[in-house]
Amino acid sequence: MAEQPLHEHTLANGLRVVVCEDHVVPLAAVNIWYGVGSRHEVAGRTGLAHLFEHLMFQGSGNVAEGEHAALLESAGATFNASTSFERTNYYETVPVSHLELALWLEADRMGTLPAALTQANLDNQRDVVKNERRQRYDNQPYGTAFERLCRLTFPPGHPYAHTPIGSMADLDATTLEDCADFFATWYAPGNAVLSIVGDVDPERALADAERYFGGLPAGPASPAPRPGDLGPLGEVRVEMVDEDVPSPAYFALFPLPSDGGGDIEAAELAVEILGGGAGSRLYDRMVRRDEIATEVWAGVTRLAGGPSLAIVDAVGPDPAKIAEVLDEELARFAAEGPDADEAARATAQAERGFLEQTETVTGLANALSANATQFGDAARVFTAPQRAASVTADQIKDMAGRWLVPGSRTALNYGGAS
Amino acid sequence: MTATLQPRPVPGPVPAWAFPVGAPGQVPGGPATLRCDLPGRRLASVRLLLDAGAGREARGLEGVATITARALLEGTRPGGGTELTAAFERLGASLFASADLTALRIALDVPVTRLDPALELLSTVLRSAALDDADIGRLGRERLEEIAQEDADPGSRAMRELRAVMFPDAARAHLPTGGTRASIAAITGADVRAFFGSAEPGEATAVVAGDLAGTNVDAAFTGALSGWTAAGPALPAADDVPPTAGPRIVVVDRPGSVQTYLALAHGVPNRRSADWPLLAVVAHVLGGGLTSRLNAVLREEKGYTYGVRAGLLRMPHCGLFIAQGSVHTEVTGDAVADALAGLRSVVERGVTEEECRSSVTALADRAPAEYETARAVAAELADAAANGLGADYPRRYLEAVRAATPAELERAYREHVGTDALTVVAVGDAAQIREPLEKLGYAPVTVAE
Repeated sequence: MAEQPLHEHTLANGLRVVVCEDHVVPLAAVNIWYGVGSRHEVAGRTGLAHLFEHLMFQGSGNVAEGEHAALLESAGATFNASTSFERTNYYETVPVSHLELALWLEADRMGTLPAALTQANLDNQRDVVKNERRQRYDNQPYGTAFERLCRLTFPPGHPYAHTPIGSMADLDATTLEDCADFFATWYAPGNAVLSIVGDVDPERALADAERYFGGLPAGPASPAPRPGDLGPLGEVRVEMVDEDVPSPAYFALFPLPSDGGGDIEAAELAVEILGGGAGSRLYDRMVRRDEIATEVWAGVTRLAGGPSLAIVDAVGPDPAKIAEVLDEELARFAAEGPDADEAARATAQAERGFLEQTETVTGLANALSANATQFGDAARVFTAPQRAASVTADQIKDMAGRWLVPGSRTALNYGGAS
Repeated sequence: MTATLQPRPVPGPVPAWAFPVGAPGQVPGGPATLRCDLPGRRLASVRLLLDAGAGREARGLEGVATITARALLEGTRPGGGTELTAAFERLGASLFASADLTALRIALDVPVTRLDPALELLSTVLRSAALDDADIGRLGRERLEEIAQEDADPGSRAMRELRAVMFPDAARAHLPTGGTRASIAAITGADVRAFFGSAEPGEATAVVAGDLAGTNVDAAFTGALSGWTAAGPALPAADDVPPTAGPRIVVVDRPGSVQTYLALAHGVPNRRSADWPLLAVVAHVLGGGLTSRLNAVLREEKGYTYGVRAGLLRMPHCGLFIAQGSVHTEVTGDAVADALAGLRSVVERGVTEEECRSSVTALADRAPAEYETARAVAAELADAAANGLGADYPRRYLEAVRAATPAELERAYREHVGTDALTVVAVGDAAQIREPLEKLGYAPVTVAE
């Protein structure tokens, strides 16, 4: 899409609304970010934010159990939700004729969810979520790697030390009262951003938002979250994982600067150059030249309230050798920085990433919600290519020298255990 | 304070939308082309499909199409993969290649402003790929490692077993698309060079989609693809050996699994059949969404699973109707019983008007979102062309979905999906699930390694 101006408005109850026209297809994307995720959970109730996300599909004051999905499925909508460390998002992309229905459904659960909270629904969705945990993590080779790395990286009790899926024991212990409290604490309009992108008239879409959400009470202000910061790590901490996996592997996590700060753009480019695909330094060295790994990949998860996280995954017979070569490449990169071509390539890839992220109404709506929620600036999404392009090779080198040095990671060694 | 709510709005009619059509063309002596202008899509997408899928591999060389696709990305000189990837990255482009039974598929995605230089690079790849022995040896070793990973993943292990059991030895589909340990270990650089040399450009299709205003893609295609010719003898013809019917239950032992991955399948006709869109609608009724019959019971009522899905697997000469998902180990027997009952329910009580209407709109009205990007449109158009379905197939398919009636759905399902002759694959802990599966009395249970 061509870049369009944003239309923004904050309702009296605190709900922030962002609208962007995009007339390429006759669709409307509705996306709500609530400023609550697993980092807001308390000890003994890990997984609650995500379990609660499931309960948001089980009906509300004026929506029967199963009706939310039925109405959207039969409208040809694509819809889902997800829970991460810092936020929970709900989204549906509908034929533009169904925009008001989508808004009404979101408003009904934002305003009246507790009316449909029942023990039966909680018990059922707890079983579903436990099966989600089994399917995505426990029954997959290396499936718990990210969870292990977070536990290894952050001190016990740190808000980012556990991941959104939570533990089976905490899921089992969660009560209906926990769920009702969670909703009352975090699901107020003032803790949410609503984005609408698509084949809409902006004035009318803002009026629709007012019409459907304006009557919801403001609710309490959300509590301030516990601090999430963590600086660069000073020494490598390795966990030997004794698990039945098809091949030995080495997984590493590097804390990085938080999103929104000056260093994150350089950090993302640095990780891209090091391990972002088949043209990267690590792939060239480990897979193509030394043949010590059959695959290696690195990527960044941006986080705003805690450190962003770089993950490096490598599969190969000798994890210790992989760690040694990783150290060599990190040391070389921190000392020399990228060459001009590497920096230019990483910038071009960042531009394509931006186009991929924003070319669909669904993707753009989510990006608008993200930037409005985390930085109070929805339009920041459009500056991503310029932010990447303005980073110099020296800045990448400087950043790598502080955050991506040989000692600055935690790691899992699969297969070197005994 | 209580909420003041509005009455539920009644949506108006869904706006009209039709799958984009392309303008056909032809590179002289080379591939057929299709140009699809999609205003507003700044990321252009090129899909080049060669009639050199795994279906046309010689016996014993299973996986050579996959290795060939990967070797194309490894540069125009030995060890030149990093250099080639960098050249595409400089343009903000990505090049990817893969093979399935139907075709060897090359995918180029690039901002439309840099389409011309990206096509020039693609041309260099097609004409001058090194296909070097050492690179190919390494790709073979990587593929062997990938097979080990696939075997450990419950879902891909189930799909592999399903094909192995349903298709007889004479069918290429009996073996994995990417080859077996034995066949991969036997593939040499010469095999790859011979396979690629025999891929006939005159049988290929090149599709481009994106905001093409101000570009001259026909000229760029001709520049990139004319004069590129096959050097070797024609590849063997693909077989058309159909899948066999069950009933059978096959357990793939995965000791210690906390879940069982289930796949219940039956062969169906391919997409040339007028019943294909009908079967797609029935599959949606059964396992298309949270409200589908299978999910209503297995997920929303009983909590046995994070979710199951039913759908049609496209193959060149046939299709497979497959319902699949993971269930908690201890409920495996009950879950299969419920899944079988769900699959029989269409035969026993048909499809309601409401289910039919809902699944039809679910499939047809989500198409604008499904095909919002140039990538999605180009891939679908290229796939239709590679299967000889014609460039208007995606549009005709959606029209046929809209025309479905409950009676026709029931008829097509009865005719093609034998619910008493399903193949059931269960990847899980045999010690725990074998007996409950035997007790179902549906079919004899065998245990694969």
